[in-house]
Amino acid sequence: MSKYGVTITEVREEKFLVEALKEMGYEVEVHSEGAQLNSYYSEQERKTANIIVRRAQLRGACGDIGFARQPDGRLTLIADELDEYAGYGSKWLGRVQQLYKEKQTLAMARAKGYILKKREVIQTSEGQQVRLQFAVRR
Amino acid sequence: MQEKTITITIDEQGNSTLDLNGFAGSECNKAFEDFRGSDAVKLERKKTVYFTNQSKAHEQVRR
Repeated sequence: MSKYGVTITEVREEKFLVEALKEMGYEVEVHSEGAQLNSYYSEQERKTANIIVRRAQLRGACGDIGFARQPDGRLTLIADELDEYAGYGSKWLGRVQQLYKEKQTLAMARAKGYILKKREVIQTSEGQQVRLQFAVRR
Repeated sequence: MQEKTITITIDEQGNSTLDLNGFAGSECNKAFEDFRGSDAVKLERKKTVYFTNQSKAHEQVRR
Protein backbone atom coordinates (compact mmCIF):
# COMPACT_ATOMS: atom_id res chain seq x y z
CA MET A 1 0.00 0.00 0.00
CA SER A 2 1.33 3.41 -0.73
CA LYS A 3 -0.96 6.41 -0.58
CA TYR A 4 -4.41 7.47 0.53
CA GLY A 5 -6.28 10.71 -0.03
CA VAL A 6 -9.67 12.38 0.21
CA THR A 7 -10.74 14.94 -2.38
CA ILE A 8 -13.74 17.24 -2.86
CA THR A 9 -15.22 17.27 -6.35
CA GLU A 10 -15.03 20.61 -8.13
CA VAL A 11 -17.28 20.77 -11.19
CA ARG A 12 -15.31 22.44 -13.98
CA GLU A 13 -15.88 20.37 -17.12
CA GLU A 14 -19.13 21.17 -18.89
CA LYS A 15 -19.17 17.93 -20.87
CA PHE A 16 -19.32 15.66 -17.81
CA LEU A 17 -21.84 17.87 -16.02
CA VAL A 18 -24.16 17.70 -19.03
CA GLU A 19 -23.72 13.90 -19.19
CA ALA A 20 -24.48 13.59 -15.47
CA LEU A 21 -27.68 15.65 -15.73
CA LYS A 22 -28.79 13.68 -18.80
CA GLU A 23 -28.26 10.43 -16.93
CA MET A 24 -30.58 11.78 -14.24
CA GLY A 25 -33.21 12.08 -16.98
CA TYR A 26 -33.12 15.81 -17.70
CA GLU A 27 -32.96 17.64 -20.99
CA VAL A 28 -30.12 20.09 -20.67
CA GLU A 29 -29.59 23.48 -22.31
CA VAL A 30 -26.03 24.69 -22.85
CA HIS A 31 -25.43 28.43 -23.32
CA SER A 32 -21.81 29.44 -23.73
CA GLU A 33 -22.68 33.09 -23.16
CA GLY A 34 -25.23 32.36 -20.45
CA ALA A 35 -29.03 32.54 -20.53
CA GLN A 36 -31.62 33.79 -18.10
CA LEU A 37 -33.07 31.52 -15.44
CA ASN A 38 -36.80 31.65 -14.82
CA SER A 39 -37.23 31.91 -11.11
CA TYR A 40 -39.90 32.36 -8.47
CA TYR A 41 -37.97 35.51 -7.60
CA SER A 42 -37.19 36.56 -11.16
CA GLU A 43 -38.92 39.93 -10.83
CA GLN A 44 -36.64 40.79 -7.94
CA GLU A 45 -33.39 39.34 -9.17
CA ARG A 46 -32.45 38.20 -12.66
CA LYS A 47 -29.91 35.40 -12.81
CA THR A 48 -28.11 33.76 -15.70
CA ALA A 49 -26.47 30.37 -16.08
CA ASN A 50 -24.49 28.44 -18.70
CA ILE A 51 -26.07 25.03 -18.17
CA ILE A 52 -29.79 24.98 -17.48
CA VAL A 53 -32.48 22.45 -16.60
CA ARG A 54 -35.88 24.12 -17.02
CA ARG A 55 -38.55 23.99 -14.33
CA ALA A 56 -40.89 21.93 -16.52
CA GLN A 57 -38.52 18.99 -16.04
CA LEU A 58 -38.04 19.44 -12.32
CA ARG A 59 -41.04 17.99 -10.52
CA GLY A 60 -42.25 20.35 -7.79
CA ALA A 61 -39.60 22.99 -8.42
CA CYS A 62 -40.36 26.71 -8.26
CA GLY A 63 -37.76 27.77 -10.80
CA ASP A 64 -35.16 26.60 -13.30
CA ILE A 65 -31.88 25.19 -12.03
CA GLY A 66 -28.63 26.27 -13.59
CA PHE A 67 -24.89 26.08 -13.30
CA ALA A 68 -22.93 29.26 -13.91
CA ARG A 69 -19.29 29.51 -14.90
CA GLN A 70 -17.27 31.39 -12.26
CA PRO A 71 -14.10 33.44 -12.91
CA ASP A 72 -11.99 30.61 -11.41
CA GLY A 73 -13.46 28.11 -13.90
CA ARG A 74 -15.81 26.28 -11.56
CA LEU A 75 -19.45 25.67 -12.48
CA THR A 76 -21.62 26.45 -9.47
CA LEU A 77 -25.29 25.74 -8.80
CA ILE A 78 -27.81 28.57 -9.16
CA ALA A 79 -31.28 27.70 -7.84
CA ASP A 80 -34.13 29.15 -5.84
CA GLU A 81 -33.74 28.69 -2.11
CA LEU A 82 -37.31 27.37 -2.04
CA ASP A 83 -36.24 24.46 -4.24
CA GLU A 84 -33.99 23.12 -1.49
CA TYR A 85 -37.22 21.95 0.13
CA ALA A 86 -38.54 20.54 -3.14
CA GLY A 87 -35.73 17.98 -3.37
CA TYR A 88 -33.13 20.07 -5.21
CA GLY A 89 -30.82 20.91 -2.34
CA SER A 90 -27.45 19.56 -1.27
CA LYS A 91 -28.48 15.91 -1.64
CA TRP A 92 -29.54 16.48 -5.25
CA LEU A 93 -26.32 18.39 -5.95
CA GLY A 94 -24.28 15.60 -4.33
CA ARG A 95 -25.85 13.07 -6.71
CA VAL A 96 -24.98 15.33 -9.67
CA GLN A 97 -21.40 15.59 -8.41
CA GLN A 98 -21.18 11.83 -7.87
CA LEU A 99 -22.22 11.12 -11.47
CA TYR A 100 -19.95 13.93 -12.74
CA LYS A 101 -16.95 12.53 -10.87
CA GLU A 102 -17.57 8.98 -12.12
CA LYS A 103 -17.82 10.11 -15.74
CA GLN A 104 -14.77 12.35 -15.45
CA THR A 105 -12.73 9.60 -13.78
CA LEU A 106 -13.63 6.96 -16.39
CA ALA A 107 -12.76 9.35 -19.26
CA MET A 108 -9.45 10.39 -17.69
CA ALA A 109 -8.48 6.78 -16.94
CA ARG A 110 -9.27 5.73 -20.52
CA ALA A 111 -7.22 8.62 -21.92
CA LYS A 112 -4.21 7.91 -19.68
CA GLY A 113 -4.19 4.15 -20.20
CA TYR A 114 -5.46 2.88 -16.85
CA ILE A 115 -7.55 -0.29 -17.02
CA LEU A 116 -10.95 -0.45 -15.30
CA LYS A 117 -11.01 -3.74 -13.37
CA LYS A 118 -14.18 -3.40 -11.32
CA ARG A 119 -17.17 -1.12 -10.73
CA GLU A 120 -19.28 -1.60 -7.63
CA VAL A 121 -22.22 0.26 -6.15
CA ILE A 122 -22.21 0.03 -2.38
CA GLN A 123 -25.11 0.90 -0.08
CA THR A 124 -23.96 2.51 3.17
CA SER A 125 -25.72 4.27 6.03
CA GLU A 126 -24.62 7.55 4.43
CA GLY A 127 -26.03 6.66 1.02
CA GLN A 128 -24.85 5.04 -2.15
CA GLN A 129 -21.17 4.93 -3.04
CA VAL A 130 -19.60 4.10 -6.39
CA ARG A 131 -16.29 2.25 -6.21
CA LEU A 132 -14.05 2.02 -9.26
CA GLN A 133 -10.89 -0.05 -9.31
CA PHE A 134 -8.19 0.51 -11.91
CA ALA A 135 -4.91 -1.20 -12.74
CA VAL A 136 -1.85 0.25 -14.40
CA ARG A 137 -1.17 -0.97 -17.92
CA ARG A 138 2.16 -2.87 -17.92
CA MET B 1 5.66 -8.10 -7.71
CA GLN B 2 2.54 -6.50 -6.26
CA GLU B 3 0.02 -5.23 -8.81
CA LYS B 4 -0.43 -1.47 -8.91
CA THR B 5 -4.06 -0.60 -8.33
CA ILE B 6 -6.03 2.56 -7.76
CA THR B 7 -9.39 2.40 -6.00
CA ILE B 8 -11.60 5.46 -6.07
CA THR B 9 -14.77 5.60 -3.98
CA ILE B 10 -17.21 8.40 -4.78
CA ASP B 11 -19.89 9.23 -2.22
CA GLU B 12 -23.22 11.04 -2.55
CA GLN B 13 -21.77 14.24 -1.13
CA GLY B 14 -19.36 14.58 -4.02
CA ASN B 15 -16.32 13.51 -1.98
CA SER B 16 -13.90 10.86 -3.20
CA THR B 17 -11.37 8.67 -1.48
CA LEU B 18 -8.34 7.56 -3.44
CA ASP B 19 -6.46 4.44 -2.37
CA LEU B 20 -3.26 3.61 -4.23
CA ASN B 21 -1.63 0.22 -3.73
CA GLY B 22 1.68 -1.15 -4.93
CA PHE B 23 3.13 2.23 -5.86
CA ALA B 24 6.20 4.01 -4.60
CA GLY B 25 7.81 7.42 -5.00
CA SER B 26 7.09 9.66 -7.96
CA GLU B 27 4.88 7.16 -9.83
CA CYS B 28 2.60 7.19 -6.81
CA ASN B 29 2.36 10.98 -6.93
CA LYS B 30 1.68 10.92 -10.67
CA ALA B 31 -1.19 8.44 -10.32
CA PHE B 32 -2.61 10.43 -7.41
CA GLU B 33 -2.55 13.64 -9.47
CA ASP B 34 -4.13 11.87 -12.48
CA PHE B 35 -7.09 10.72 -10.39
CA ARG B 36 -7.37 13.90 -8.33
CA GLY B 37 -7.85 15.92 -11.51
CA SER B 38 -9.05 19.42 -10.66
CA ASP B 39 -10.53 18.43 -7.30
CA ALA B 40 -9.53 20.04 -4.03
CA VAL B 41 -7.50 17.81 -1.70
CA LYS B 42 -8.98 17.45 1.77
CA LEU B 43 -6.51 14.90 3.09
CA GLU B 44 -3.40 13.21 1.69
CA ARG B 45 -1.50 10.50 3.52
CA LYS B 46 1.53 8.51 2.39
CA LYS B 47 1.57 4.95 3.63
CA THR B 48 4.63 3.34 5.22
CA VAL B 49 5.48 1.33 2.11
CA TYR B 50 5.88 4.58 0.14
CA PHE B 51 8.89 5.49 2.30
CA THR B 52 10.20 1.92 2.59
CA ASN B 53 10.37 1.48 -1.18
CA GLN B 54 11.98 4.90 -1.61
CA SER B 55 14.73 3.96 0.91
CA LYS B 56 15.37 0.70 -0.96
CA ALA B 57 15.70 2.58 -4.24
CA HIS B 58 18.20 5.00 -2.63
CA GLU B 59 20.23 2.10 -1.23
CA GLN B 60 20.43 0.47 -4.64
CA VAL B 61 21.66 3.73 -6.21
CA ARG B 62 24.37 4.08 -3.54
CA ARG B 63 25.66 0.53 -4.22
